Amino acid sequence: MIDHILTLLIAIPLLGAAAVAVWPAKRPESFRIIALVALALEFLLAAFLYFSFDNGNPGHQLSEVTDWITLPIGALGVVSIDYALAVDGISFPLVLLAVVVLFVGVISSWNIVQKSRAYFALYLLLTGSVIGCFLAQDFFLFYLFFEFMLLPMYFLIGLWGGPRREYAALKFFIYTFFGSLLILIVMIALYLSVIDPLETAKAVGILGIDDPIHPDLISQIQQWLIDGKIAPEQLVHTFRFAYLADPNNYIPGSLLSIASEYSIGSIPLRLLAFWFLFVGFAVKLPVVPVHTWLPDAHVEAPTPISVVLAGILLKIGGYGFIRIVDGFFPVEAQHSAVPLAILGMISIVYGGFNALGQSDLKKMIAYSSVSHMGFVLLGVAAFTAEGINGAIYQMVSHGVLSAMLFILTGVVYDRTHDRRIDHYRGLIAVMPQYTIITGIAFFASLGLPGFSGFVGELFTLMGAFQSEALPVWIPALSTLGIVLAAAYFLWTYQRMFFGAFWYKNGSLHVLSDLTRREKGMLIPLVILTILLGLLPGILFDMTGPTVEAWLGGLE
Amino acid sequence: MPDSAYFLPAYLLLGLPFLGFLLLWSAGKGFNKPAGWAGALITASGLVISLLYADIHALHIINFHWLSIGQTPIDLSFRFDVLTCIMLAIVHFVALLVQLYSISYLHGDKNLHRYFAFIQLFLFSMIGIVLSGSLLVMYIFWELVGLSSYLLIGFWYLKPRAVWAAQKAFVLNRIGDAAFLTGILMLFYYIGSTDFEVIASNLDTINPGILTAIGFCLFGGCMGKSAQFPLSGWLPDAMEGPTPVSALIHAATMVAAGIFLLARISFLLTFEARLVIAIIGTITMLIGAVKAMQVWDIKRVLAYSTMSQLGLMVVAVGFGSWQTAMFHLATHAFFKAGLFLSAGSVIHAVSPANADLNFDPQDMRTMGGLRKALPVTFSCFTICAASLAGLPFFSGFLSKDAIITEGFLWAGELGALFYVFPILVIFSAGLTAYYMTRQLWLVFFGENRFSISQIHPHESPALMWLPMAFLAALSLFFWFSWNPFDAAGWFLAFIGQEAEAHLAWVPVIASAVTFVSISLAFRQTKTENPFKVVASKPVDNLVIETRKFAWLRDYSNTDYFIIPFAFITKYLKIFEKRFIDSIIDRIAKMSVVLGHLIGWFDRFFVDGGVNLIVYSIRSGGQAVRNLQNGKIQSYYIVTVMGLFLLILWLVIL
Repeated sequence: MIDHILTLLIAIPLLGAAAVAVWPAKRPESFRIIALVALALEFLLAAFLYFSFDNGNPGHQLSEVTDWITLPIGALGVVSIDYALAVDGISFPLVLLAVVVLFVGVISSWNIVQKSRAYFALYLLLTGSVIGCFLAQDFFLFYLFFEFMLLPMYFLIGLWGGPRREYAALKFFIYTFFGSLLILIVMIALYLSVIDPLETAKAVGILGIDDPIHPDLISQIQQWLIDGKIAPEQLVHTFRFAYLADPNNYIPGSLLSIASEYSIGSIPLRLLAFWFLFVGFAVKLPVVPVHTWLPDAHVEAPTPISVVLAGILLKIGGYGFIRIVDGFFPVEAQHSAVPLAILGMISIVYGGFNALGQSDLKKMIAYSSVSHMGFVLLGVAAFTAEGINGAIYQMVSHGVLSAMLFILTGVVYDRTHDRRIDHYRGLIAVMPQYTIITGIAFFASLGLPGFSGFVGELFTLMGAFQSEALPVWIPALSTLGIVLAAAYFLWTYQRMFFGAFWYKNGSLHVLSDLTRREKGMLIPLVILTILLGLLPGILFDMTGPTVEAWLGGLE
Repeated sequence: MPDSAYFLPAYLLLGLPFLGFLLLWSAGKGFNKPAGWAGALITASGLVISLLYADIHALHIINFHWLSIGQTPIDLSFRFDVLTCIMLAIVHFVALLVQLYSISYLHGDKNLHRYFAFIQLFLFSMIGIVLSGSLLVMYIFWELVGLSSYLLIGFWYLKPRAVWAAQKAFVLNRIGDAAFLTGILMLFYYIGSTDFEVIASNLDTINPGILTAIGFCLFGGCMGKSAQFPLSGWLPDAMEGPTPVSALIHAATMVAAGIFLLARISFLLTFEARLVIAIIGTITMLIGAVKAMQVWDIKRVLAYSTMSQLGLMVVAVGFGSWQTAMFHLATHAFFKAGLFLSAGSVIHAVSPANADLNFDPQDMRTMGGLRKALPVTFSCFTICAASLAGLPFFSGFLSKDAIITEGFLWAGELGALFYVFPILVIFSAGLTAYYMTRQLWLVFFGENRFSISQIHPHESPALMWLPMAFLAALSLFFWFSWNPFDAAGWFLAFIGQEAEAHLAWVPVIASAVTFVSISLAFRQTKTENPFKVVASKPVDNLVIETRKFAWLRDYSNTDYFIIPFAFITKYLKIFEKRFIDSIIDRIAKMSVVLGHLIGWFDRFFVDGGVNLIVYSIRSGGQAVRNLQNGKIQSYYIVTVMGLFLLILWLVIL
């Protein structure tokens, strides 16, 4: 079991989804229990992983590699797709976050009775694909999971959402599908340019089946490629992240080889591929100006789906930036640091101003997500240890905080079906516990020291200041984001919670304080944000060595 | 004592108030009665600890490892030195008196346990600032002070204006903090640490231009917390909080944090940075003094006066003399806290038994003649006011004198133009004397002008006047220097001020200006309508502004931040809707049109062609058409199949 723990992590929710789909009982309660059991198992596995994860090891851990598809296709060589899973310091925190957020999401879905069989089946499908995304070490596999997320997400918004759910779902789908199309194009180009040196060596006969791998092998292969000694049929093409990230595995003269002379117009092909990938993941993060699907999707999505969307799905964008965009195109990324950082800065400030202008609570929080994810882009663009570590930290922190914020929004929405900020006043009188937890979530999100939000912002900004490539004014202007965050959170807090109690559409009986289930979701998240805020080492010790090795490898 | 001996006091000084906060908060309403005594006890033990560990001859630094990023460790360091000693003593002492006072003043409030919990949280954060050994640590506690100030100003959360004032304070502070953070991160970049010792020893590695920029940024933090122009708008509004809170955080401690910060970093301020600091300080000092002459709210006069005095301290730092700034900070902490507590006692005395919405107990126009009813409050107020006004034999005289002397010495080195600064300081001292006389007269002299009848002014209980009396006693000269006309007493020597040339004419000139202003104000009291008290009608300040962003707007007219904010927000929202979204919309619509075109093409040409050629394939054409049924699943399947075909095509090629 221990050998295949990562497979298990993907398989459990998928099996759960199958179980929900075929379960004979019609009672809606049974479906949510299956989902809960599946996520509880995930949680236990993740907890086990947490204790067995070796923080000091910068490489892959718990690797599982199996040849999946090996297909000789004539002049295009051999397609080799591996079922490769592993965790390292970059993906592991996000896997943990995914399990926590998805677990909370199930509890938050507890009251969904309408078409609950389909709901929980789709939810578990989503769970499996999200976790698969973070575990995959093969681009093809990653892309499979990445695409697989869209479908359940589309239905979860489109069938269980609010009044304009169909519009929102379609918008979400079109945006992300457009993004994945760009990724796909680059994926194919990468495939044509990269070989698996070991398999190729075996195919050519430089390396016997049982021979030990000798250090000059790769350079030898490269020399053979330059000399044209290897026939195209013998090349074994691969999608493995590890090979794609290593310039020595690119075929000289291929589309995306390091010294590629291909260009479209005056733009070198590698740079173009970099921007394609960037935009593909920027839609997910989201980066201004490809962010407009997010507020709509959030407003229409049911509470648990908002939680999952903001808590985890957006992080795949940030993860893609680090692992794929920067990982495969480090030189281009460093050259483009300034435009990337400016986009991050714009997201931070633009998202903040828009959040300030919203009157719908959920939309305000959605825009605050745009602003907070801008810090991730800023950190990634900085390309320094502080920046990348800070970006990962910010993703985890925002995952926890946005989950809290959307659950809190769901609390009033469940009671009144009304999310207008100006329809409430003085909620503290009837919902004191709700007021306190919202206060904590708001202050944590606006970056108060002691909570996780502060650390994420501090280190992404610090990374951006440290970066040699970035001028000082970019991070300096980005600090406007923390001013705006204080303004929109506190203004909302004041309008909804303080003063004399008043609710536009009814009496105060509707507004009861938090239930035990709601507290059960919120309090662990509060503890988590405080824990991460006081002891950021929990995460930084995990990510630090890997990021350092990763940055060192890209030099 | 070795450095390691200082872990214990650090733990205790920070741990006790934090535990106090947690305990008092979770104790619930049943703990309302003993809460104040518990809080005072904690603070008293803090005072004892800070005095026990006061070691003025050496610097002690302790380090905690916080985290490492890659190879870079980030430590949290705390330090004990002379500056720490003084601030610890002031903070604890004032906090102790204020808590004792609050027990009586807020007697009967149903959330009293929370009030004292918040005071403990404030102390925790403030002591953190004082102990911090690096700017990063200071920033962390700086923000927490912002939080506790928010909680305390907004303590009466049912009052909309109090909550507004609270968030306004937080947001305006945040603007300064953003600059502060920028400065900190720039130091991290250029030096790799923000530890004061490390910065001091690596200072010459930085280009002076950049050092000036860093100085400006760090001063941003001071502008927020110490209410310097243009971030000063929150301080008068913060008077919506309970009066003892104003005494503690908006007179003696929190607003002093900015000055403390400047004192800590004064070694890295370049001449240009100092000059800007002096200019900003002067502007603040004058605005505060002028505003204090105009307002009618008893607490707002003091708030504007605090702003003005903070400006004076900032000017002192600009003169290059953080020692005199700290001196004035210390004397000001006592007499201003005394003034606020006395003002609280007055408000307490004139508040009608049953709250009357049309009566504002803080309006000086409806006071007057209270010296007979409140003799103790009157004497405390008068002593503290005399100290603020800078009369000889009071502490304020000494510290103001010291700053003016520094100013003349500084200007003397730089040239004639720079004399404008010390002259403006003397001018503002004159204004100070004027508005304090005005306030004293409006509140305590003349006939009473109560607008309603149920007011029966009475002296406050001993628990309230004792702290006032303590603070008044501390406003006398001999606590700071034996010679009432020479500031160079033990205090300045204690914080390391070198004995400098003493300008004998400065005290003379300064006192002369003060006396002239007082006599001007006195003449005003003899006129028919002193200070225009009758003509001006009380404004109805209970009207709540419902305009957008009103919460950030002052009740006075400091609108400058709001206009751009509201403007940008409004137009970005429109931009988002009209531009970004509509582009996407257009693309979507165009694709639909294109889809219809292709569909039409498909039906008439492809389909028709197929029909013509092979009749039997018609059912197949039907199936293709069915795919365009507007269901996303089928689009998805088509796309996936398309992908497969694409790959297949590539593969076969």
